Amino acid sequence: MALLRFENVTKVFPALTKNDKPIRAIDAVSFEMEGHVFVTLVGPSGCGKSTLLNITSGVDSPTSGQVSFAQNGAAPRIGYVFQDPRLLPWRSVLDNLLYVSDEDKATASQKAQTYLDMVGLGSFANLYPGQLSGGMQQRVGIARAFSVDPDLLLMDEPFSHLDAITAEGLREQLQDIWNETRKMVLFVTHDVREAVELSNRVIMMAPGGRIFADIEIDLPYPRRASDRAVAVLQAEILGRFDEMRAEIPSAKTG
Amino acid sequence: MNKSSALGRNLALPPNGVGRLQKLFSSNWGARLSAYIAFLIIWQLVALIVPRAPGPVPVFTFIWIEISGGSHGGVLRGQFLQHFIVTLQRFSLGLVMAVVSGALLGILIGSLPFFRALLNDTLLVFLALPAIIWAFLTTMWFGIGPRAPIVTTLLTAAPFVAVNVAQGVRAITPDLHRMSAAFGVPLSKRLRHLILPAVTGYLFAGIRFAIIIGWNGVLLSEWFGAAEGVGWRTRFWYDANRYRGFVGWVVIFIIFIVLLDRLALTPIQQYAFRWRDAQAQSSETTKSSMASS
Amino acid sequence: MTHMDLAERQARQVEWIVLIKRGQHFGAILLGWVSFIGIWFLLSRFVVGPILLPDPITIGIKMGDIISSGAFVRHFSSSILKVFTGFGIAVLIGTPIGYFMGRTRYWKAFFHDPVMVAGSVPGITYAVMALVIFGISLEGPILAVALISMPYVAINVAEGIEGVDRKLIEMSRVYRRTERHILRHVLIPSIMPFAFAGVRLSFALAWKVEQLTEVFGSSGGVGFMIRKEFQDFSVTGVLAWVLLFIGFMLLIERFVLVELERYLFRWRGPQESELA
Repeated sequence: MALLRFENVTKVFPALTKNDKPIRAIDAVSFEMEGHVFVTLVGPSGCGKSTLLNITSGVDSPTSGQVSFAQNGAAPRIGYVFQDPRLLPWRSVLDNLLYVSDEDKATASQKAQTYLDMVGLGSFANLYPGQLSGGMQQRVGIARAFSVDPDLLLMDEPFSHLDAITAEGLREQLQDIWNETRKMVLFVTHDVREAVELSNRVIMMAPGGRIFADIEIDLPYPRRASDRAVAVLQAEILGRFDEMRAEIPSAKTG
Repeated sequence: MNKSSALGRNLALPPNGVGRLQKLFSSNWGARLSAYIAFLIIWQLVALIVPRAPGPVPVFTFIWIEISGGSHGGVLRGQFLQHFIVTLQRFSLGLVMAVVSGALLGILIGSLPFFRALLNDTLLVFLALPAIIWAFLTTMWFGIGPRAPIVTTLLTAAPFVAVNVAQGVRAITPDLHRMSAAFGVPLSKRLRHLILPAVTGYLFAGIRFAIIIGWNGVLLSEWFGAAEGVGWRTRFWYDANRYRGFVGWVVIFIIFIVLLDRLALTPIQQYAFRWRDAQAQSSETTKSSMASS
Repeated sequence: MTHMDLAERQARQVEWIVLIKRGQHFGAILLGWVSFIGIWFLLSRFVVGPILLPDPITIGIKMGDIISSGAFVRHFSSSILKVFTGFGIAVLIGTPIGYFMGRTRYWKAFFHDPVMVAGSVPGITYAVMALVIFGISLEGPILAVALISMPYVAINVAEGIEGVDRKLIEMSRVYRRTERHILRHVLIPSIMPFAFAGVRLSFALAWKVEQLTEVFGSSGGVGFMIRKEFQDFSVTGVLAWVLLFIGFMLLIERFVLVELERYLFRWRGPQESELA
């Protein structure tokens, strides 16, 4: 089974001007995730969760420590869903999925169509992104991430730019796809309720880039934001964030 | 806007001495200087390769002799001021006529959709006619003399003024007109405070175009249909196969228009648009005065 | 009178008004053409005389002659070929310059001023340069076009590169796309609208400079024919050739370029294009 391991990962950004101090975005983060799991990093702005995701995807590199992914020794295939859809506006929806594929056109097209059907956009394959709504574009982004058959799926606050109703619909769809495809997902958000609704493990991060808490969530799928159990857990975790704010004064800002 | 390169890699200059030299050359003045030096070098190279082409030194020597009235050899003496002044006179006259007629036309076209539909295609055709054609036509119409260059200037420049003024008039949003009507503002006041200030900027843009195009036109026209002037003198050297003279006068011609543009026209345009900049400025001063009170 | 009848009546009234306004619009355009030709006719017959200003009919006949004798096709294709060859060279040289200007701060500072100056040099300069270097030739007009269009291409390509969405590049890197892939699917499509704008802007300038160069230094093409008519002192000839040429150029600009733009950029959705 695939194993994603963070060992003492630290990221320090150099000071912007002479008078500033260097910024410690991630501070000796260590944890592991294995197999078919949905892990969410939650925390306020400035806690380093997006930076950690960038390091995992290879866009950025750690100042010290390492991130390793063990699966047959090969480099992991990564699927990434951004906050904004990031589709090529001059290519059709289908071509956007083909763009990230390394397989021959016939196989890739078939696969792409399958995943577009999964997100409910099967009949929109030949439209341009400009002809779709924001929610639909984001769904294409999700389909694209799944379509590369990733070993690891990274998601950076993918629903934060959508309205509440669309977002909730997409969350439900995401759970279905995830359960069907059995991927390893690392999800980043500032929305505690979203974290509780989607994941089976929540890692709370504090400003300065430390892990504050690591919580298993055992509720059965499918979950809805309106579920009582979800609300209860959400309240618990928010309570722990209060604790964190009391312990760490800098948690009040940012 | 993010200044780092589009592909995410910021190529920082190396901190050593070479880097500083590079920095000097890539600064604004350094780059400009390098550009002029490069241009002169290329010019010299072309002169070496192409037998007919004169190099920078002979050309500038020629210009000096021509302007100072020195001897070009034999009976040929430098003549400058008489031609330059004559051309300037013709040019100014044609330009003034172009601006007046162009502005009137532009206001007409910009304000009333009827006139726009009526005149737009004709205007397009006139805009498209190259200056050389007007030079030919006016020479055939007026023969050799001052009228050809003046009319050429008028005909080449007026359409550009018209187009710009029309744009300016159309830029006044209907809201402002409605507001003026609602307050019962009389036409004369509207003209002075609403229409003219808004149009002025576009008018000056049009004038700037008119000057550049018109200056071209007067040169071409004098080439074919004049007995003196910048264009005529340029042709004089060309016909005599003295290319350094020909190129020399073209250089004079270009330097004049570049200087005029940089030193006179651009500051005037900035002056014309000062109401836009002043608006931004005054809101700043209001804020700071409020903060300090 | 029911609500439906009233609504229908009003809808039909609105339709009428729209139709009338359209009719007025086209009527005015037609009137414009008619009065233009009419005034021309009057000037020619009664004011100036047919030698100085031939009437529209004479010119029309001459234009017909030019076309039917095949002369127009021959010389027009010669001119157009030079224009497009010049454009090709401008794109070939201007695109790499623009590319480097857009990618690196250093090259931008280096090229910025030369390109700006080259772009503001009057067309006549390039015509003269081409003339002096090549004399009476084919290459002269081509060089002039290349020189005048190149700054436009370079600047527009540079803007296109700078405007490339960094987020799309980042997305491509995350999905491990190769540099070639990125060039083909992200960079080039991003630049294209800008490059096209550059072509459209400089097209008008380019053919005017080409004509100017041709008048002085060519043995074929429309400019050459115009000069010949001038030397024969034929106003009819000059006007006939000019009108034919400009007519075609305007058609190309108005229809070919605009349609091409619409096709290339159909993914952008409905756009507002400003003419004149």
